[in-house]
Amino acid sequence: MPLTGETLLEASGVGVEIAGTTILEGVDLTLSRGELVAVVGPNGAGKSTFARVACGLQKADRGRIEWEGESISTLRGRELARLRAFVPQRPQVPAGVTVADAVSIGRSSHFGPFRGSSPSDHDAISEAMSRARVEKLSDRLLTTLSGGELQRVQVAVALAQDAPALVADEPTAQLDLGATAEVSRLLRSLVDQDFGILLIVHDLALAAAVADRVTVISDGRSIATGTPFEVLTPQLISEVWGVEAELISRDGRSALHVGWLDRAAGERR
Amino acid sequence: MISRRVIVAAFLALATVAGAVASLALGAVEIPFGDVIRILFGSVDSGPDYEIVRTLRLPRMVEALLVGAALGVAGACLQGALSNPLASPDVIGVTGGAGFGAMLVIILLPAQAALVPLSALVFGLVAATMVFLIGFVGERAGGIGRVILAGIAIASLFGAGTAALMAAFPERVPAGIFFLVGGLTTTGWETLQQVLPYFVVGFIVAILLVRPLDRLTLGDEVAASLGSKPRRIRFGAAFAAALLASAAAAVAGLLAFLGLVVPHMVRLAAGTGRTTYVMPVSALGGAALLVWADTLARVIAAPVELPVGPLLVLLGVPVFLWLLRKAV
Repeated sequence: MPLTGETLLEASGVGVEIAGTTILEGVDLTLSRGELVAVVGPNGAGKSTFARVACGLQKADRGRIEWEGESISTLRGRELARLRAFVPQRPQVPAGVTVADAVSIGRSSHFGPFRGSSPSDHDAISEAMSRARVEKLSDRLLTTLSGGELQRVQVAVALAQDAPALVADEPTAQLDLGATAEVSRLLRSLVDQDFGILLIVHDLALAAAVADRVTVISDGRSIATGTPFEVLTPQLISEVWGVEAELISRDGRSALHVGWLDRAAGERR
Repeated sequence: MISRRVIVAAFLALATVAGAVASLALGAVEIPFGDVIRILFGSVDSGPDYEIVRTLRLPRMVEALLVGAALGVAGACLQGALSNPLASPDVIGVTGGAGFGAMLVIILLPAQAALVPLSALVFGLVAATMVFLIGFVGERAGGIGRVILAGIAIASLFGAGTAALMAAFPERVPAGIFFLVGGLTTTGWETLQQVLPYFVVGFIVAILLVRPLDRLTLGDEVAASLGSKPRRIRFGAAFAAALLASAAAAVAGLLAFLGLVVPHMVRLAAGTGRTTYVMPVSALGGAALLVWADTLARVIAAPVELPVGPLLVLLGVPVFLWLLRKAV
Protein backbone atom coordinates (compact mmCIF):
# COMPACT_ATOMS: atom_id res chain seq x y z
CA MET A 1 0.00 0.00 0.00
CA PRO A 2 1.57 3.30 -1.04
CA LEU A 3 2.10 5.85 1.66
CA THR A 4 0.31 9.07 2.38
CA GLY A 5 2.27 11.94 0.95
CA GLU A 6 3.42 10.15 -2.19
CA THR A 7 3.26 12.64 -5.07
CA LEU A 8 0.52 11.91 -7.57
CA LEU A 9 0.46 14.96 -9.83
CA GLU A 10 3.21 17.39 -10.57
CA ALA A 11 2.50 20.23 -12.97
CA SER A 12 4.85 23.07 -13.77
CA GLY A 13 4.77 25.97 -16.19
CA VAL A 14 1.58 24.72 -17.82
CA GLY A 15 0.46 26.91 -20.72
CA VAL A 16 -2.52 26.56 -23.03
CA GLU A 17 -3.67 28.56 -26.03
CA ILE A 18 -7.04 28.16 -27.65
CA ALA A 19 -7.51 29.65 -31.10
CA GLY A 20 -4.66 32.10 -30.56
CA THR A 21 -5.85 33.26 -27.13
CA THR A 22 -3.70 32.45 -24.12
CA ILE A 23 -5.81 30.72 -21.49
CA LEU A 24 -3.05 29.48 -19.19
CA GLU A 25 0.51 30.73 -19.12
CA GLY A 26 2.31 29.28 -16.16
CA VAL A 27 0.50 27.12 -13.65
CA ASP A 28 2.49 25.12 -11.09
CA LEU A 29 0.76 22.65 -8.83
CA THR A 30 1.39 19.41 -6.99
CA LEU A 31 -1.04 16.90 -5.53
CA SER A 32 -0.14 14.10 -3.14
CA ARG A 33 -1.97 11.16 -1.64
CA GLY A 34 -4.09 11.97 1.37
CA GLU A 35 -4.57 15.65 0.62
CA LEU A 36 -7.18 17.86 -0.93
CA VAL A 37 -5.89 20.73 -2.99
CA ALA A 38 -8.42 23.40 -3.97
CA VAL A 39 -7.88 25.48 -7.08
CA VAL A 40 -9.59 28.84 -6.73
CA GLY A 41 -9.73 31.93 -8.90
CA PRO A 42 -12.12 34.32 -10.59
CA ASN A 43 -14.37 33.23 -13.45
CA GLY A 44 -12.36 32.88 -16.63
CA ALA A 45 -9.01 32.59 -14.82
CA GLY A 46 -8.41 29.16 -16.37
CA LYS A 47 -9.27 26.85 -13.44
CA SER A 48 -11.39 24.43 -15.46
CA THR A 49 -8.97 24.50 -18.37
CA PHE A 50 -6.19 23.57 -15.97
CA ALA A 51 -8.24 20.67 -14.58
CA ARG A 52 -8.91 19.36 -18.07
CA VAL A 53 -5.30 19.75 -19.16
CA ALA A 54 -4.00 18.11 -15.99
CA CYS A 55 -6.27 15.14 -16.69
CA GLY A 56 -5.25 14.92 -20.33
CA LEU A 57 -8.73 15.79 -21.63
CA GLN A 58 -7.13 18.70 -23.43
CA LYS A 59 -3.55 19.21 -24.61
CA ALA A 60 -1.12 21.59 -22.96
CA ASP A 61 0.95 23.75 -25.28
CA ARG A 62 3.73 24.34 -22.77
CA GLY A 63 4.99 23.01 -19.48
CA ARG A 64 5.27 19.65 -17.82
CA ILE A 65 2.53 17.44 -16.37
CA GLU A 66 3.51 14.21 -14.65
CA TRP A 67 1.33 11.59 -13.01
CA GLU A 68 3.25 9.42 -10.55
CA GLY A 69 6.46 10.55 -12.22
CA GLU A 70 5.40 9.75 -15.79
CA SER A 71 4.89 12.47 -18.35
CA ILE A 72 1.27 12.69 -19.46
CA SER A 73 2.33 12.73 -23.11
CA THR A 74 3.77 9.23 -22.85
CA LEU A 75 0.78 7.74 -21.01
CA ARG A 76 -1.89 5.94 -23.03
CA GLY A 77 -5.58 6.50 -22.33
CA ARG A 78 -6.07 3.36 -20.28
CA GLU A 79 -2.88 3.86 -18.28
CA LEU A 80 -3.94 7.40 -17.47
CA ALA A 81 -7.40 6.13 -16.50
CA ARG A 82 -5.79 4.15 -13.67
CA LEU A 83 -3.87 7.16 -12.35
CA ARG A 84 -6.59 9.81 -12.21
CA ALA A 85 -10.34 10.13 -12.62
CA PHE A 86 -12.19 13.25 -13.70
CA VAL A 87 -15.50 14.31 -12.14
CA PRO A 88 -17.25 16.76 -14.47
CA GLN A 89 -19.17 19.80 -13.32
CA ARG A 90 -22.38 18.99 -15.08
CA PRO A 91 -23.14 15.31 -15.34
CA GLN A 92 -24.86 14.07 -18.46
CA VAL A 93 -28.10 12.37 -17.41
CA PRO A 94 -29.07 9.84 -20.07
CA ALA A 95 -32.45 8.11 -20.00
CA GLY A 96 -32.67 4.43 -19.10
CA VAL A 97 -29.40 4.22 -17.18
CA THR A 98 -29.39 3.10 -13.55
CA VAL A 99 -26.88 4.09 -10.91
CA ALA A 100 -25.40 0.58 -11.04
CA ASP A 101 -25.10 0.87 -14.84
CA ALA A 102 -23.34 4.22 -14.54
CA VAL A 103 -20.85 2.98 -11.97
CA SER A 104 -20.11 -0.10 -14.07
CA ILE A 105 -19.38 2.21 -17.04
CA GLY A 106 -16.87 3.89 -14.73
CA ARG A 107 -15.20 0.52 -14.30
CA SER A 108 -15.10 -0.28 -18.01
CA SER A 109 -11.51 0.84 -18.59
CA HIS A 110 -10.60 -2.35 -16.75
CA PHE A 111 -12.63 -4.61 -19.05
CA GLY A 112 -11.05 -6.27 -22.08
CA PRO A 113 -12.48 -5.41 -25.51
CA PHE A 114 -14.63 -8.55 -25.69
CA ARG A 115 -14.68 -9.60 -22.07
CA GLY A 116 -17.30 -8.39 -19.66
CA SER A 117 -16.79 -7.60 -16.02
CA SER A 118 -14.99 -10.12 -13.80
CA PRO A 119 -15.78 -10.86 -10.13
CA SER A 120 -13.02 -8.45 -9.08
CA ASP A 121 -14.68 -5.75 -11.19
CA HIS A 122 -17.98 -6.42 -9.42
CA ASP A 123 -16.20 -6.00 -6.08
CA ALA A 124 -14.65 -2.74 -7.24
CA ILE A 125 -18.04 -1.47 -8.43
CA SER A 126 -19.76 -2.21 -5.13
CA GLU A 127 -16.86 -0.74 -3.20
CA ALA A 128 -17.04 2.46 -5.25
CA MET A 129 -20.78 2.66 -4.57
CA SER A 130 -20.34 2.14 -0.85
CA ARG A 131 -17.49 4.70 -0.63
CA ALA A 132 -19.67 7.28 -2.37
CA ARG A 133 -22.65 6.16 -0.27
CA VAL A 134 -24.90 5.44 -3.22
CA GLU A 135 -25.54 1.68 -2.66
CA LYS A 136 -29.15 2.36 -1.78
CA LEU A 137 -29.64 4.17 -5.09
CA SER A 138 -28.22 1.25 -7.06
CA ASP A 139 -31.39 0.43 -9.04
CA ARG A 140 -32.62 3.96 -9.44
CA LEU A 141 -32.56 5.61 -12.87
CA LEU A 142 -30.22 8.60 -13.13
CA THR A 143 -33.15 10.66 -14.39
CA THR A 144 -34.90 10.28 -11.01
CA LEU A 145 -32.03 11.53 -8.80
CA SER A 146 -31.62 14.88 -7.09
CA GLY A 147 -28.64 17.09 -7.86
CA GLY A 148 -26.75 16.00 -4.76
CA GLU A 149 -27.42 12.30 -5.37
CA LEU A 150 -26.33 12.69 -8.97
CA GLN A 151 -23.06 14.30 -7.91
CA ARG A 152 -22.36 11.45 -5.45
CA VAL A 153 -23.02 9.00 -8.28
CA GLN A 154 -20.50 10.93 -10.41
CA VAL A 155 -17.97 10.45 -7.65
CA ALA A 156 -18.83 6.73 -7.51
CA VAL A 157 -18.32 6.49 -11.30
CA ALA A 158 -14.88 8.09 -10.86
CA LEU A 159 -14.00 5.84 -7.90
CA ALA A 160 -14.82 2.74 -9.94
CA GLN A 161 -11.91 3.69 -12.17
CA ASP A 162 -9.68 2.73 -9.25
CA ALA A 163 -7.36 5.70 -9.62
CA PRO A 164 -5.67 7.20 -6.56
CA ALA A 165 -6.41 10.76 -7.67
CA LEU A 166 -9.73 12.47 -8.37
CA VAL A 167 -9.97 15.77 -10.19
CA ALA A 168 -13.37 17.37 -9.61
CA ASP A 169 -14.40 20.43 -11.60
CA GLU A 170 -16.82 22.52 -9.51
CA PRO A 171 -18.82 19.48 -8.37
CA THR A 172 -20.92 21.60 -6.02
CA ALA A 173 -21.52 24.58 -8.31
CA GLN A 174 -25.14 23.63 -9.00
CA LEU A 175 -25.99 22.25 -5.56
CA ASP A 176 -27.90 23.69 -2.64
CA LEU A 177 -26.37 24.12 0.81
CA GLY A 178 -27.26 20.66 2.13
CA ALA A 179 -26.06 18.82 -0.95
CA THR A 180 -22.88 20.90 -1.06
CA ALA A 181 -22.10 19.91 2.54
CA GLU A 182 -22.83 16.28 1.74
CA VAL A 183 -20.50 16.22 -1.26
CA SER A 184 -17.83 18.05 0.76
CA ARG A 185 -18.00 15.46 3.55
CA LEU A 186 -17.76 12.73 0.92
CA LEU A 187 -14.63 14.27 -0.63
CA ARG A 188 -13.06 14.74 2.82
CA SER A 189 -13.77 11.11 3.73
CA LEU A 190 -12.00 10.03 0.55
CA VAL A 191 -8.96 12.07 1.54
CA ASP A 192 -8.96 10.17 4.84
CA GLN A 193 -8.92 6.98 2.78
CA ASP A 194 -5.70 8.21 1.16
CA PHE A 195 -7.05 9.53 -2.12
CA GLY A 196 -5.56 12.72 -3.50
CA ILE A 197 -8.22 15.17 -4.59
CA LEU A 198 -7.86 18.23 -6.79
CA LEU A 199 -10.97 20.33 -6.37
CA ILE A 200 -11.78 23.21 -8.69
CA VAL A 201 -14.05 25.49 -6.70
CA HIS A 202 -15.11 29.12 -6.75
CA ASP A 203 -16.52 29.31 -3.22
CA LEU A 204 -13.62 30.50 -1.05
CA ALA A 205 -15.32 29.67 2.25
CA LEU A 206 -15.90 26.14 1.04
CA ALA A 207 -12.32 25.87 -0.22
CA ALA A 208 -11.05 27.02 3.17
CA ALA A 209 -13.18 24.44 4.96
CA VAL A 210 -12.30 21.38 2.89
CA ALA A 211 -8.82 21.97 1.49
CA ASP A 212 -5.44 21.18 2.97
CA ARG A 213 -3.85 23.52 0.49
CA VAL A 214 -5.18 26.15 -1.88
CA THR A 215 -3.72 27.27 -5.20
CA VAL A 216 -4.94 30.59 -6.59
CA ILE A 217 -5.07 30.95 -10.37
CA SER A 218 -5.46 34.44 -11.76
CA ASP A 219 -5.17 35.44 -15.42
CA GLY A 220 -3.83 32.03 -16.36
CA ARG A 221 -1.06 31.92 -13.72
CA SER A 222 -0.81 30.25 -10.34
CA ILE A 223 0.00 33.17 -8.10
CA ALA A 224 -0.08 31.63 -4.62
CA THR A 225 -0.11 28.24 -2.94
CA GLY A 226 -0.38 27.29 0.72
CA THR A 227 -2.83 26.58 3.50
CA PRO A 228 -6.14 28.41 2.99
CA PHE A 229 -5.56 30.97 5.74
CA GLU A 230 -1.99 31.68 4.66
CA VAL A 231 -3.05 32.33 1.09
CA LEU A 232 -6.53 33.80 1.14
CA THR A 233 -5.66 37.03 2.88
CA PRO A 234 -7.85 40.14 2.52
CA GLN A 235 -5.08 41.67 0.47
CA LEU A 236 -4.92 38.81 -2.04
CA ILE A 237 -8.71 38.57 -2.30
CA SER A 238 -8.84 42.26 -2.98
CA GLU A 239 -6.12 42.04 -5.64
CA VAL A 240 -7.53 39.02 -7.43
CA TRP A 241 -11.30 39.40 -7.06
CA GLY A 242 -11.48 43.13 -6.54
CA VAL A 243 -13.62 42.71 -3.44
CA GLU A 244 -13.00 43.60 0.18
CA ALA A 245 -13.42 40.32 2.03
CA GLU A 246 -11.99 38.42 4.94
CA LEU A 247 -11.89 34.73 5.61
CA ILE A 248 -13.04 33.90 9.15
CA SER A 249 -12.64 30.61 10.95
CA ARG A 250 -14.20 29.62 14.24
CA ASP A 251 -14.74 26.16 15.77
CA GLY A 252 -13.94 24.42 12.48
CA ARG A 253 -16.45 26.52 10.58
CA SER A 254 -15.46 28.93 7.89
CA ALA A 255 -17.10 32.03 6.45
CA LEU A 256 -16.23 34.77 4.10
CA HIS A 257 -17.12 38.24 5.30
CA VAL A 258 -17.67 40.20 2.13
CA GLY A 259 -18.18 43.89 1.59
CA TRP A 260 -20.62 43.15 -1.21
CA LEU A 261 -21.49 46.74 -2.05
CA ASP A 262 -18.13 48.25 -1.20
CA ARG A 263 -17.18 50.18 -4.32
CA ALA A 264 -13.64 51.11 -3.45
CA ALA A 265 -12.17 47.72 -4.17
CA GLY A 266 -13.89 47.34 -7.49
CA GLU A 267 -12.72 50.75 -8.63
CA ARG A 268 -9.19 50.18 -7.47
CA ARG A 269 -9.06 47.11 -9.68
CA MET B 1 -37.28 -12.92 -11.56
CA ILE B 2 -36.30 -12.73 -15.21
CA SER B 3 -35.47 -9.17 -16.11
CA ARG B 4 -37.29 -7.12 -18.71
CA ARG B 5 -34.08 -6.91 -20.67
CA VAL B 6 -33.89 -10.68 -21.03
CA ILE B 7 -37.57 -11.00 -21.92
CA VAL B 8 -37.36 -8.38 -24.66
CA ALA B 9 -34.18 -9.88 -26.15
CA ALA B 10 -35.64 -13.40 -26.05
CA PHE B 11 -38.93 -12.26 -27.60
CA LEU B 12 -37.12 -10.50 -30.45
CA ALA B 13 -34.83 -13.47 -31.06
CA LEU B 14 -37.87 -15.73 -31.26
CA ALA B 15 -39.71 -13.27 -33.50
CA THR B 16 -36.72 -13.14 -35.83
CA VAL B 17 -36.52 -16.92 -36.18
CA ALA B 18 -40.28 -17.31 -36.56
CA GLY B 19 -40.33 -14.47 -39.10
CA ALA B 20 -37.53 -16.07 -41.08
CA VAL B 21 -39.39 -19.36 -41.27
CA ALA B 22 -42.68 -17.66 -42.10
CA SER B 23 -41.04 -15.66 -44.88
CA LEU B 24 -39.93 -18.93 -46.50
CA ALA B 25 -43.27 -20.70 -46.10
CA LEU B 26 -45.73 -17.91 -46.89
CA GLY B 27 -46.36 -15.94 -50.05
CA ALA B 28 -48.35 -16.23 -53.24
CA VAL B 29 -47.71 -19.97 -52.96
CA GLU B 30 -47.93 -21.50 -49.49
CA ILE B 31 -45.38 -24.18 -48.80
CA PRO B 32 -45.86 -26.46 -45.78
CA PHE B 33 -43.39 -25.87 -42.99
CA GLY B 34 -42.06 -29.46 -43.16
CA ASP B 35 -41.29 -29.07 -46.85
CA VAL B 36 -39.42 -25.81 -46.20
CA ILE B 37 -37.18 -27.61 -43.70
CA ARG B 38 -36.58 -30.50 -46.11
CA ILE B 39 -35.72 -28.06 -48.92
CA LEU B 40 -33.34 -26.07 -46.72
CA PHE B 41 -31.51 -29.10 -45.40
CA GLY B 42 -31.14 -30.81 -48.71
CA SER B 43 -33.45 -33.85 -48.57
CA VAL B 44 -35.49 -32.26 -51.38
CA ASP B 45 -33.47 -30.80 -54.23
CA SER B 46 -35.79 -30.11 -57.13
CA GLY B 47 -39.35 -29.16 -58.03
CA PRO B 48 -41.21 -25.83 -58.14
CA ASP B 49 -41.29 -25.45 -54.33
CA TYR B 50 -37.55 -25.98 -54.24
CA GLU B 51 -37.06 -23.23 -56.81
CA ILE B 52 -39.34 -20.83 -54.97
CA VAL B 53 -37.67 -21.37 -51.62
CA ARG B 54 -34.04 -21.57 -52.71
CA THR B 55 -33.88 -18.97 -55.47
CA LEU B 56 -36.63 -16.50 -54.52
CA ARG B 57 -37.52 -16.57 -50.86
CA LEU B 58 -34.25 -17.53 -49.23
CA PRO B 59 -32.21 -14.63 -50.68
CA ARG B 60 -35.07 -12.30 -49.89
CA MET B 61 -35.26 -13.52 -46.30
CA VAL B 62 -31.51 -13.02 -45.90
CA GLU B 63 -31.87 -9.52 -47.40
CA ALA B 64 -34.65 -8.66 -44.96
CA LEU B 65 -32.68 -9.91 -41.95
CA LEU B 66 -29.49 -8.19 -43.03
CA VAL B 67 -31.08 -4.86 -43.97
CA GLY B 68 -33.23 -4.82 -40.84
CA ALA B 69 -30.28 -5.60 -38.59
CA ALA B 70 -28.07 -3.07 -40.40
CA LEU B 71 -30.57 -0.23 -40.01
CA GLY B 72 -31.21 -1.10 -36.36
CA VAL B 73 -27.47 -1.07 -35.66
CA ALA B 74 -26.92 2.11 -37.71
CA GLY B 75 -29.59 3.91 -35.69
CA ALA B 76 -28.21 2.67 -32.37
CA CYS B 77 -24.69 3.74 -33.41
CA LEU B 78 -25.77 7.25 -34.36
CA GLN B 79 -28.11 7.82 -31.43
CA GLY B 80 -25.33 6.67 -29.10
CA ALA B 81 -22.60 8.66 -30.82
CA LEU B 82 -24.54 11.89 -31.16
CA SER B 83 -26.41 11.56 -27.83
CA ASN B 84 -29.45 12.65 -29.78
CA PRO B 85 -32.73 10.76 -29.87
CA LEU B 86 -33.52 12.07 -33.35
CA ALA B 87 -30.35 10.69 -34.90
CA SER B 88 -30.84 8.21 -37.73
CA PRO B 89 -29.15 7.57 -41.08
CA ASP B 90 -31.05 10.64 -42.34
CA VAL B 91 -29.00 12.81 -40.05
CA ILE B 92 -25.64 12.01 -41.64
CA GLY B 93 -27.02 12.55 -45.12
CA VAL B 94 -26.99 8.87 -46.15
CA THR B 95 -30.68 8.62 -46.94
CA GLY B 96 -30.69 11.79 -49.03
CA GLY B 97 -27.53 10.74 -50.86
CA ALA B 98 -28.71 7.19 -51.56
CA GLY B 99 -32.08 8.45 -52.80
CA PHE B 100 -30.35 10.83 -55.18
CA GLY B 101 -27.95 8.13 -56.38
CA ALA B 102 -30.78 5.75 -57.16
CA MET B 103 -32.98 8.34 -58.88
CA LEU B 104 -30.03 9.54 -60.93
CA VAL B 105 -29.73 6.12 -62.57
CA ILE B 106 -33.48 5.44 -62.72
CA ILE B 107 -34.24 8.75 -64.37
CA LEU B 108 -31.16 9.53 -66.47
CA LEU B 109 -30.01 6.00 -67.32
CA PRO B 110 -33.21 3.94 -67.29
CA ALA B 111 -31.57 1.24 -69.41
CA GLN B 112 -28.92 0.65 -66.74
CA ALA B 113 -31.28 -0.35 -63.91
CA ALA B 114 -28.70 -2.83 -62.64
CA LEU B 115 -26.57 0.12 -61.54
CA VAL B 116 -29.21 1.41 -59.09
CA PRO B 117 -27.89 -0.38 -55.97
CA LEU B 118 -24.31 0.61 -56.69
CA SER B 119 -25.23 4.23 -57.36
CA ALA B 120 -27.34 4.38 -54.17
CA LEU B 121 -24.42 2.97 -52.19
CA VAL B 122 -21.88 5.34 -53.72
CA PHE B 123 -23.97 8.48 -53.29
CA GLY B 124 -25.00 7.48 -49.77
CA LEU B 125 -21.31 7.28 -48.89
CA VAL B 126 -20.49 10.48 -50.80
CA ALA B 127 -23.12 12.36 -48.79
CA ALA B 128 -21.82 10.92 -45.53
CA THR B 129 -18.23 11.83 -46.49
CA MET B 130 -19.30 15.42 -47.15
CA VAL B 131 -20.93 15.53 -43.72
CA PHE B 132 -17.78 14.09 -42.15
CA LEU B 133 -15.52 16.61 -43.92
CA ILE B 134 -17.56 19.47 -42.52
CA GLY B 135 -18.34 17.91 -39.16
CA PHE B 136 -15.07 16.22 -38.22
CA VAL B 137 -12.27 18.31 -39.76
CA GLY B 138 -10.67 21.46 -38.41
CA GLU B 139 -10.81 23.23 -35.11
CA ARG B 140 -13.64 22.29 -32.75
CA ALA B 141 -14.29 19.30 -35.02
CA GLY B 142 -16.57 16.49 -33.96
CA GLY B 143 -19.01 18.59 -31.98
CA ILE B 144 -22.48 17.09 -31.97
CA GLY B 145 -24.31 20.21 -33.16
CA ARG B 146 -21.91 20.70 -36.02
CA VAL B 147 -22.24 17.12 -37.28
CA ILE B 148 -26.04 17.20 -37.11
CA LEU B 149 -26.36 20.58 -38.81
CA ALA B 150 -23.92 19.55 -41.53
CA GLY B 151 -25.99 16.37 -42.02
CA ILE B 152 -29.24 18.26 -42.37
CA ALA B 153 -27.70 20.69 -44.86
CA ILE B 154 -26.18 17.94 -47.02
CA ALA B 155 -29.41 15.92 -46.88
CA SER B 156 -31.31 18.98 -48.12
CA LEU B 157 -28.82 19.41 -50.93
CA PHE B 158 -29.27 15.85 -52.20
CA GLY B 159 -33.01 16.06 -51.59
CA ALA B 160 -33.13 19.11 -53.83
CA GLY B 161 -31.13 17.21 -56.46
CA THR B 162 -33.61 14.35 -56.36
CA ALA B 163 -36.57 16.75 -56.58
CA ALA B 164 -34.95 18.54 -59.53
CA LEU B 165 -34.47 15.25 -61.39
CA MET B 166 -38.09 14.28 -60.75
CA ALA B 167 -39.36 17.68 -61.87
CA ALA B 168 -37.29 17.55 -65.07
CA PHE B 169 -38.44 14.04 -66.06
CA PRO B 170 -41.84 13.53 -64.43
CA GLU B 171 -42.72 10.68 -66.79
CA ARG B 172 -39.84 8.60 -65.46
CA VAL B 173 -40.63 9.10 -61.79
CA PRO B 174 -42.95 6.07 -61.42
CA ALA B 175 -40.00 3.70 -61.99
CA GLY B 176 -38.32 5.16 -58.93
CA ILE B 177 -41.26 5.07 -56.57
CA PHE B 178 -40.49 1.56 -55.41
CA PHE B 179 -36.99 2.60 -54.38
CA LEU B 180 -38.12 5.77 -52.66
CA VAL B 181 -40.78 4.09 -50.54
CA GLY B 182 -38.49 1.16 -49.82
CA GLY B 183 -38.96 -2.46 -50.69
CA LEU B 184 -37.03 -5.66 -51.00
CA THR B 185 -36.47 -6.98 -54.50
CA THR B 186 -36.21 -10.44 -55.90
CA THR B 187 -32.91 -10.34 -57.69
CA GLY B 188 -31.56 -13.48 -56.03
CA TRP B 189 -28.12 -13.22 -54.49
CA GLU B 190 -26.61 -10.76 -56.95
CA THR B 191 -27.21 -7.41 -55.23
CA LEU B 192 -26.50 -8.96 -51.88
CA GLN B 193 -23.11 -10.20 -53.05
CA GLN B 194 -22.18 -6.75 -54.36
CA VAL B 195 -22.86 -4.96 -51.10
CA LEU B 196 -21.99 -7.71 -48.63
CA PRO B 197 -18.48 -6.34 -47.92
CA TYR B 198 -19.98 -3.00 -46.84
CA PHE B 199 -22.34 -4.74 -44.46
CA VAL B 200 -19.50 -6.84 -43.07
CA VAL B 201 -17.15 -3.90 -42.46
CA GLY B 202 -20.01 -1.82 -41.03
CA PHE B 203 -21.01 -4.55 -38.59
CA ILE B 204 -17.42 -5.18 -37.51
CA VAL B 205 -16.76 -1.49 -36.80
CA ALA B 206 -20.07 -1.27 -34.93
CA ILE B 207 -19.22 -4.29 -32.77
CA LEU B 208 -15.81 -2.83 -31.93
CA LEU B 209 -17.50 0.40 -30.88
CA VAL B 210 -20.16 -1.07 -28.61
CA ARG B 211 -18.17 -0.55 -25.45
CA PRO B 212 -16.62 2.81 -26.36
CA LEU B 213 -20.12 4.09 -27.23
CA ASP B 214 -21.35 2.80 -23.88
CA ARG B 215 -18.72 5.04 -22.24
CA LEU B 216 -20.04 8.05 -24.14
CA THR B 217 -23.40 7.52 -22.40
CA LEU B 218 -22.23 9.56 -19.42
CA GLY B 219 -20.82 12.35 -21.56
CA ASP B 220 -17.57 13.14 -23.33
CA GLU B 221 -15.70 14.05 -20.16
CA VAL B 222 -16.41 10.77 -18.40
CA ALA B 223 -15.47 8.89 -21.56
CA ALA B 224 -12.22 10.85 -21.80
CA SER B 225 -11.56 10.22 -18.11
CA LEU B 226 -11.82 6.52 -18.92
CA GLY B 227 -9.18 6.90 -21.61
CA SER B 228 -11.49 7.01 -24.65
CA LYS B 229 -11.35 9.56 -27.44
CA PRO B 230 -14.91 10.82 -27.87
CA ARG B 231 -14.40 12.38 -31.29
CA ARG B 232 -12.81 9.29 -32.73
CA ILE B 233 -15.60 7.14 -31.33
CA ARG B 234 -18.18 9.47 -32.83
CA PHE B 235 -16.47 9.41 -36.20
CA GLY B 236 -16.12 5.62 -36.14
CA ALA B 237 -19.78 5.17 -35.25
CA ALA B 238 -20.91 7.57 -37.97
CA PHE B 239 -18.65 5.74 -40.44
CA ALA B 240 -20.12 2.34 -39.51
CA ALA B 241 -23.65 3.76 -39.74
CA ALA B 242 -22.91 5.28 -43.15
CA LEU B 243 -21.68 1.93 -44.49
CA LEU B 244 -24.60 -0.02 -43.06
CA ALA B 245 -27.29 2.45 -44.12
CA SER B 246 -25.84 2.94 -47.61
CA ALA B 247 -25.61 -0.81 -48.15
CA ALA B 248 -29.16 -1.20 -46.81
CA ALA B 249 -30.43 1.48 -49.18
CA ALA B 250 -28.69 -0.24 -52.08
CA VAL B 251 -30.58 -3.45 -51.32
CA ALA B 252 -33.95 -2.20 -50.14
CA GLY B 253 -34.40 1.47 -50.96
CA LEU B 254 -35.18 4.06 -48.35
CA LEU B 255 -36.30 2.42 -45.11
CA ALA B 256 -34.54 4.82 -42.78
CA PHE B 257 -37.59 4.90 -40.51
CA LEU B 258 -36.36 1.57 -39.17
CA GLY B 259 -33.05 3.07 -38.09
CA LEU B 260 -34.79 5.83 -36.17
CA VAL B 261 -37.46 3.82 -34.44
CA VAL B 262 -36.04 0.38 -33.67
CA PRO B 263 -33.43 1.48 -31.10
CA HIS B 264 -36.08 3.58 -29.37
CA MET B 265 -38.47 0.64 -29.25
CA VAL B 266 -35.73 -1.48 -27.72
CA ARG B 267 -34.92 1.17 -25.11
CA LEU B 268 -38.52 1.76 -24.19
CA ALA B 269 -39.48 -1.90 -24.09
CA ALA B 270 -36.45 -3.05 -22.12
CA GLY B 271 -36.13 0.04 -19.95
CA THR B 272 -32.42 0.52 -20.53
CA GLY B 273 -30.32 2.93 -22.52
CA ARG B 274 -27.03 0.99 -22.34
CA THR B 275 -25.43 0.69 -25.79
CA THR B 276 -24.09 -2.73 -24.83
CA TYR B 277 -27.72 -3.86 -24.80
CA VAL B 278 -29.43 -1.52 -27.24
CA MET B 279 -27.12 -2.14 -30.20
CA PRO B 280 -27.23 -5.96 -30.40
CA VAL B 281 -30.93 -6.09 -29.53
CA SER B 282 -31.68 -3.39 -32.13
CA ALA B 283 -30.09 -5.72 -34.70
CA LEU B 284 -32.60 -8.39 -33.67
CA GLY B 285 -35.47 -5.90 -33.54
CA GLY B 286 -34.73 -4.48 -36.99
CA ALA B 287 -34.37 -7.95 -38.50
CA ALA B 288 -37.61 -9.18 -36.90
CA LEU B 289 -39.61 -6.12 -37.91
CA LEU B 290 -38.44 -6.12 -41.52
CA VAL B 291 -38.76 -9.85 -42.12
CA TRP B 292 -42.31 -9.85 -40.73
CA ALA B 293 -43.31 -6.69 -42.57
CA ASP B 294 -41.94 -8.07 -45.83
CA THR B 295 -43.76 -11.37 -45.36
CA LEU B 296 -47.03 -9.54 -44.67
CA ALA B 297 -46.43 -7.28 -47.68
CA ARG B 298 -46.29 -10.37 -49.88
CA VAL B 299 -49.24 -12.13 -48.25
CA ILE B 300 -51.89 -9.48 -47.52
CA ALA B 301 -52.89 -8.81 -51.10
CA ALA B 302 -51.26 -11.84 -52.78
CA PRO B 303 -50.40 -12.19 -55.57
CA VAL B 304 -50.01 -8.42 -55.57
CA GLU B 305 -46.99 -7.36 -53.54
CA LEU B 306 -47.29 -4.26 -51.40
CA PRO B 307 -44.21 -2.04 -50.90
CA VAL B 308 -42.75 -2.91 -47.53
CA GLY B 309 -41.77 0.66 -46.56
CA PRO B 310 -45.25 2.05 -45.87
CA LEU B 311 -46.37 -1.25 -44.34
CA LEU B 312 -43.40 -1.17 -42.01
CA VAL B 313 -44.38 2.29 -40.87
CA LEU B 314 -47.97 1.19 -40.40
CA LEU B 315 -46.83 -1.72 -38.24
CA GLY B 316 -44.11 0.12 -36.39
CA VAL B 317 -45.72 3.43 -35.55
CA PRO B 318 -48.60 2.14 -33.38
CA VAL B 319 -46.23 -0.03 -31.35
CA PHE B 320 -43.80 2.84 -31.05
CA LEU B 321 -46.48 5.30 -29.93
CA TRP B 322 -47.84 2.80 -27.42
CA LEU B 323 -44.36 2.36 -25.91
CA LEU B 324 -43.82 6.11 -25.93
CA ARG B 325 -46.99 6.72 -23.95
CA LYS B 326 -46.03 4.10 -21.40
CA ALA B 327 -42.52 5.47 -20.99
CA VAL B 328 -41.67 7.26 -17.76
